[in-house]
Amino acid sequence: MNKIVLDAGTTWSKIIETSDSNLMNNYNDYLVKNENNLKYYILPSSMLKEINFKFSKATGHMSLSMLNDKKDYENEVIALIQGFRKRISSDALILDMGSRDSKWAAFKNGNFKDLDWNNSCSSSTGATIEMLLKFYNIDVRKLKFTNEKYVITCGIFGLEKIMDDIAKGSGAESAISKFIHGIAFNAWNFAKKPEKIYLSGGFCENQCFVDSLKNYCEVIPLGRFLLCEGLL
Amino acid sequence: MKNKNIIGFWGYPHPELINKYKHEYPNAEWVDLDIDYGFTKQDILPESYCTIIKNIINAAFHYKDNLIIILAPIGKDKCDSGWFCYELLKDMGFNIISSVFEEKTYKKDVKISTSNLPLRQKIEMITKGIYEQNSYNLTQCEAKFGFWGVPPNDLSVLELFPDETHVYGWTRCTEAMAPADIELEMYVDKNVPTVFYSQAFCSKAQLAKYLADKYNGLYIDIDDEITNSTKAKIEAFLRLR
Repeated sequence: MNKIVLDAGTTWSKIIETSDSNLMNNYNDYLVKNENNLKYYILPSSMLKEINFKFSKATGHMSLSMLNDKKDYENEVIALIQGFRKRISSDALILDMGSRDSKWAAFKNGNFKDLDWNNSCSSSTGATIEMLLKFYNIDVRKLKFTNEKYVITCGIFGLEKIMDDIAKGSGAESAISKFIHGIAFNAWNFAKKPEKIYLSGGFCENQCFVDSLKNYCEVIPLGRFLLCEGLL
Repeated sequence: MKNKNIIGFWGYPHPELINKYKHEYPNAEWVDLDIDYGFTKQDILPESYCTIIKNIINAAFHYKDNLIIILAPIGKDKCDSGWFCYELLKDMGFNIISSVFEEKTYKKDVKISTSNLPLRQKIEMITKGIYEQNSYNLTQCEAKFGFWGVPPNDLSVLELFPDETHVYGWTRCTEAMAPADIELEMYVDKNVPTVFYSQAFCSKAQLAKYLADKYNGLYIDIDDEITNSTKAKIEAFLRLR
């Protein structure tokens, strides 16, 4: 098993380290889970430049410089699929919603069937929500699903609608919830309108997003470490 | 006149037209204007437009003083954008002649498309074959994968594929000397996992998406250069299928 693996997203980096490794000892403040002899960390990707050791294996936009050898880099879709298949072996669809992109893969009759990766129309969706929450000083846990949604094509276009609604007197929480519902609707369409979605990525922790997606299909969140698990 | 030594073309000009100009100008250099040579960008077309047509305009202006003539396909063997591009260049004073190559009279077997050469080499050989006929004795191979589409603006896309990749779509039609043969263009081996490629803003995206859905392939479109996510998508498709 690889001792320490990295999924370096644009905003957040996810790390899994085996219990017999102590490379992450200085980062215990970022330890989010410790179970089955594995330690799970989430830290801002901006901190990666401080880390002075190399990872056994890595994936993600910002991970190449964190490896000794480029051959230890894994394609993000492959990492996602490997992690997913370790958990779910039945026919299913996995959707990973990240800070700047979304990707999905589907399986049929036990075999890989189809995939897509959207870096354009879903650009900045997760990052935009994080910025909005900080800008309006809103706790993500306070956001509630709303039946209304913005028809949005990407995070940047969505911003305009939020600003318009707030200018008309709507509360920021309500406006951001509509924005999140719009993203969930887009994600479901992007994944070709499946009946059931296994969800990966930071959006698993956004209940408003999960509830919005549930408006269209069954949703089973698998957390933020699926790509890392695919590297172990 | 002494600097005019280039015959420019795009798509697949009619063979009779090619032969005529080869005979008249035996020492002329033939330049495929479809290709991205990195020349100065002309501010003539909209920003969001087919990169191949932009390449044509950029290359035409780059070689303007050296061009003997441009052979300009405008029929179903090319596209409406080619037709409009012909009109624009003519209006801007280029010496240009239109071409329509829609018949199947010249149709021949495809041996490059189904050979074991690296995919990029196959496609470069096919496009060069438009103006330089050669006979090859190429080793054939069983297809592990398929690449359907036109030669991409970013040819590095082709380096992602294994050598056992067969060529389909317009590029195969080009090798067959039948660039407007829609039946051949829509032909694929249904058991061969195929990547259906379209240049962004190209009307052939309609065919690519439809065929990808029909044959459970992978549809991709690329504007100028391949993005990391599209590259990873193709890599994943090739590894998982």
